[in-house]
Amino acid sequence: MKLGRYIAQKTVWYLVALVAAVSLNFLLPRLVPGNPVDVIVSNLSRGGSVTSEQQKQVYESYVQEFGLDQSLGQQFLTYLAKVFTGDLGTSFAYYPAAVNDLVGQALPWSIAVQLPAILIGWILGNVIGAIAAFRGGNWDRSVFTTSLFLSAMPYYCLSILLLYVLAVVAGVFPVGGAYSLGLSPEFSVAFLWDALSYYWLPFLSLVVVFIGGQAVGMRSMAIYELGGDYVSYARAMGIRDNKITQYIFRNAMLPQITGLALAIGTLVGGALITELVFSYPGVGTLLFNAIAANDYPVIQAVTLIITVAVLLANFAVEIAYGIIDPRIRAAKSGEK
Amino acid sequence: MSTERPQHAPSSTGVLARAQNIRCVYGGGEEDFTAVDGVSIALGEGEVLGLAGESGCGKTTLGNALAMIAAPPLYVLSGTLEIDDGTIDLSTLSHDDVKRHRPYRGRTVSMLPQGAMNSISPTLRISSLIKDVMRAHDPRITKDEALDLARERLKMLEMPVRVLDSYAHQLSGGMKQRMITVISTLQNPRLLIADEPTSALDVSSQRMLVEMLLEMVEQRIMSGVVFVTHDLPVLSQVSDRLAIMHAGRIVESGPTRQLVEDAQHPYTRKLLGSVLDPSQETRARGIARRSAPVTPEEVGER
Repeated sequence: MKLGRYIAQKTVWYLVALVAAVSLNFLLPRLVPGNPVDVIVSNLSRGGSVTSEQQKQVYESYVQEFGLDQSLGQQFLTYLAKVFTGDLGTSFAYYPAAVNDLVGQALPWSIAVQLPAILIGWILGNVIGAIAAFRGGNWDRSVFTTSLFLSAMPYYCLSILLLYVLAVVAGVFPVGGAYSLGLSPEFSVAFLWDALSYYWLPFLSLVVVFIGGQAVGMRSMAIYELGGDYVSYARAMGIRDNKITQYIFRNAMLPQITGLALAIGTLVGGALITELVFSYPGVGTLLFNAIAANDYPVIQAVTLIITVAVLLANFAVEIAYGIIDPRIRAAKSGEK
Repeated sequence: MSTERPQHAPSSTGVLARAQNIRCVYGGGEEDFTAVDGVSIALGEGEVLGLAGESGCGKTTLGNALAMIAAPPLYVLSGTLEIDDGTIDLSTLSHDDVKRHRPYRGRTVSMLPQGAMNSISPTLRISSLIKDVMRAHDPRITKDEALDLARERLKMLEMPVRVLDSYAHQLSGGMKQRMITVISTLQNPRLLIADEPTSALDVSSQRMLVEMLLEMVEQRIMSGVVFVTHDLPVLSQVSDRLAIMHAGRIVESGPTRQLVEDAQHPYTRKLLGSVLDPSQETRARGIARRSAPVTPEEVGER
């Protein structure tokens, strides 16, 4: 019952946060200077064959089509009504493509490259960090130094480094893209095999940095927990080392779970720069292009997905924390 | 029950344990710090031996060596413990030595630590810790069997059984320390090393814990206690014999009353003389030192 009250309280707070985030998602892109229709019209008139009268007609029809002639409040209500029916609108830049389709095409690429990178990086990083803390000595020193170096390295640095060494110099992997020219995405062995060769570089550039960050965090937490009074007492009672390791791991895992959930939450936003470096057609690339074209519906759609994913991930962390750590459940639900 | 210990020769059945030539160092390199320097002590059946001394004199280190929980950077260079017709080599020069001692810990020699506040993992129920402690020495015991034993012990000590379902943060400081005492003695250890168990407690909790420990000794739940503390008033009530430590060595030992009333070593006399005296004379001296009467306003400023 106490856990139920804890979950109910959390749910209410996350709904409030969602409403605030959705409002900001709508408002912020519109505060950016410039008008999406200006971009479209200027692109149309580049050949010089369109008269100013025609430009005006095109401009007005697009403004009307996109609903930009309505008040901001009216636009917001229309946006909300569509969002709740699962319609993310029509792209301005790729008119008349539906935003749902654009996001649907980009999202699998981002998830495919990031989810395995995050999960594998999280598991390997935590195991390596825990082993370094338990074994100490030279093992700890070398793991800590390497992990710190990797975790401090920006994704794009490693991306460019890997691109140069493995693709340009060694020629082991293709330089960019997600699959060879002439192929189109499909579930066939030939396509997946081809896509795999393009997959390794963005995957490696993400996973290596993630392993470093997780190993540093886990090592610090495990060393802190190893010095805990409960560890000394458990030893004094004759409890075996493997059982004590479970106590330590459970307590040291708490901050690491936050890191995992937040990483999964933000993965749908794409690893923007990594995707750009490797010309990977994920959500990061989609968002980058949409911002350049003031494509409000696409920007709103991507930021909405990121918002919902981050909120869900945080919610999952809070619930997991409440289950794993009874002190947090007690503090949040007013229990002694 | 009274917390006053009868001052009698502790053992009619002989010596419970004899620790010989314990030498402990911190560091293990060329610049070691010797914390315990060739200490030997003996303990009779049913005896409470008080180990007193100022902070840093090596009494906790000696307790850790006896409880076989010394781990790097603390090394036990030498020492033996004769108990139950056997001799345990206490030296811990490597992690393998620490592992070798595991079967003795909690059962032959158990530990009651000072920091009961943090002695239980915050994500572990008391019942789970009890199960793990019991299974560490008897893997065949079921959780129910372990908890039945704990319930029986709690009832005997007139403690609430419901605490078994609690987490550490749900218990008061005094209850936590008493619960740790129950867990530490659940396997009827021959020797209990109580390391400053009352230091963090208020006076009423101190009294409850001391009474509980003495009852456990009377009931022979454990056969002997080494009570480590700097709190001489507590020791004078609890212990049958006192050993005074200074700079890693025992400078004087003897029956508690005899040692308190007729200390021979200058350090023992100095230590006993350092205990604050709440008599009128001391209070009067304190007041006389002040230059003017204390007003309520001054109290507010202090």
